[in-house]
Amino acid sequence: MAGETVSATFDVYRFDPARDAQPRYDHYTLDLPRHTPVLSALLKIRGEIDPSLTLRYSCRSAICGSCAMQVNSKSRLACETQIGPEIERHGRIVVEPMRNQPVLRDLVVDQAPFWRQYSKIAPHLILDPRRPMPEGKENPMTPEQVEGFGETPRCIACAACYSACPAVEADPTFPGPMALAKLFRFVVDPRDTAREARLLAIQPGGLWTCLRCHLCTEACPKDVRPSERIRDLKEMAIQLQGANEPGSRHAFGFKENIRERGLLQESKLVRQTSGIAGMVSQLGQGVRIYRKKPEILGRPHRIEGQDEVEKIYAALDDGSEAPK
Amino acid sequence: MRVAYYPGCVAQESGKELDMATRWVCRALGIELVEFPTFSCCGSGFVDEANEVLNVALNARNLAIAERAGLDLLTVCSTCQGMLSLANVRLGDPKVKARVDGALKPLGIEYRGTTKVKHLLRVLVEDVGLATIRAKVVRPLDGLHVGAFYGCHLLRPADEMGSESGEEPRSFEELLAAVGATPVDYRGRVMCCGFPIQFVKPEVASSIAGRQIDDARSHGADAMATPCPLCHISLDAYQNRAAAAVGHPLSMPVFHLPQVVGLALGASPEELGLARHLVPTGPALAKIRPPARA
Repeated sequence: MAGETVSATFDVYRFDPARDAQPRYDHYTLDLPRHTPVLSALLKIRGEIDPSLTLRYSCRSAICGSCAMQVNSKSRLACETQIGPEIERHGRIVVEPMRNQPVLRDLVVDQAPFWRQYSKIAPHLILDPRRPMPEGKENPMTPEQVEGFGETPRCIACAACYSACPAVEADPTFPGPMALAKLFRFVVDPRDTAREARLLAIQPGGLWTCLRCHLCTEACPKDVRPSERIRDLKEMAIQLQGANEPGSRHAFGFKENIRERGLLQESKLVRQTSGIAGMVSQLGQGVRIYRKKPEILGRPHRIEGQDEVEKIYAALDDGSEAPK
Repeated sequence: MRVAYYPGCVAQESGKELDMATRWVCRALGIELVEFPTFSCCGSGFVDEANEVLNVALNARNLAIAERAGLDLLTVCSTCQGMLSLANVRLGDPKVKARVDGALKPLGIEYRGTTKVKHLLRVLVEDVGLATIRAKVVRPLDGLHVGAFYGCHLLRPADEMGSESGEEPRSFEELLAAVGATPVDYRGRVMCCGFPIQFVKPEVASSIAGRQIDDARSHGADAMATPCPLCHISLDAYQNRAAAAVGHPLSMPVFHLPQVVGLALGASPEELGLARHLVPTGPALAKIRPPARA
């Protein structure tokens, strides 16, 4: 099976902003072994059919992170995405540049927005100036400490996660998965002295726009699992400074709903998250929904066995992060 | 088959039509729903953000209830499905398990880790089977183009959820085809609905919902259908805000998954609670072609 040849049609995004009014798709059909990487196919197209096809690549071994692009709408490294499964699933291979970054030409994007977000998290160790590293010495960690990083050191900054993120798409001020995964890496680094400052700096608008849709974790070629590390950062941020903005208040309020009755209390939660002003702004919408779904103003029953739920809370949650 | 029915919070409150449709469809297909008034909320991802171990413990308690009864657990919400599945995964971490056990043992609760968590979509496709469903269709949804909208937590992270695929599932489309509808292929079907930040960043959430509705519409969908009541809130109850965010009117009927199946199996719009939707479903129902007379 592995050496089997398939006839593969590629629909390749072409756009030169200096010359073209609109992007177009050029179509190429090639007979190729089914294990051929998409990148190799694109290089064959460029070498044998159309030398003007523009793309970025280097190592061809999923190490450099240069060849991230969209393959059939998935953000992927072209060098490690084989054509066989794509043809079987979609019948053709649509190749497009990454999302959420402006196209410079064809499959090459301007990564400046991605790198700007990265630089904002101060991606370097911040040491105590009163205790600088001794000249010529290393600042070692134990293997156990390194484990705390999870898979975040594996990140190759390919930006596939940034391309896949719907929060970045809708709100370009959101730092995006890679910057936050890197932030996690520095927050848990025992040598870093800026843990609290880092968490305080990122919180407003930074963490809580994450939708936990896990598209980043799916797109990441190195299994860095940014969405799960963002979850960790959220819990650390709540613990550090309490539930003091809409995102953390919502998480906290939801938790307290269940402590009280075992179930979500829809209208109460909206009040907790949005405050009185927010409730007023939600009023018209609330009335619209209430007409069809009067339960939104009801109070759910207390579940049977709520005493067990309360005892679980007593054992595991002190509620100390209540908004001040 | 008998299952422990985990309706989740929304289907017991503002999304009651989902509960109505689920009961109707399960009755029609011989799925016995065993109810447990002791189930608590799954935490919806928010409790997980505030306190991971607490979230696992609450769901371990839910899973233990089904385990004691010897039943698989049936969910009708992508997020419930995700959170309950996640508890099974996180209990594989000995440190998490020790803390959870420490909280549950004094209550006489032991969870041995055997409960399977199955969303209704999976039960219909894998356990009931598409052939059985096809054979029971009395009103094929012929002529209706439907955009499936999966909901993130049913799919991702695929390795933890044990889902069919993180980004390229097919089962919902296969189910839609089995009841006679024409599934619509569009990128947004596996995207986020915006719900998690509906009250945190409303304008961003609405913009995300609006993009997915636009995507479905531009690919020819007469309606969307979702296995998740939270996606339903975002796409239906807040569709007016999504329209404002994308800057043009939207009128996309959005069905709950069992409503689509129920329609094909002969349920009336009243039995499925269609009048409870914010966006009228009438225009979609009008697209269904009456069966040709034999």
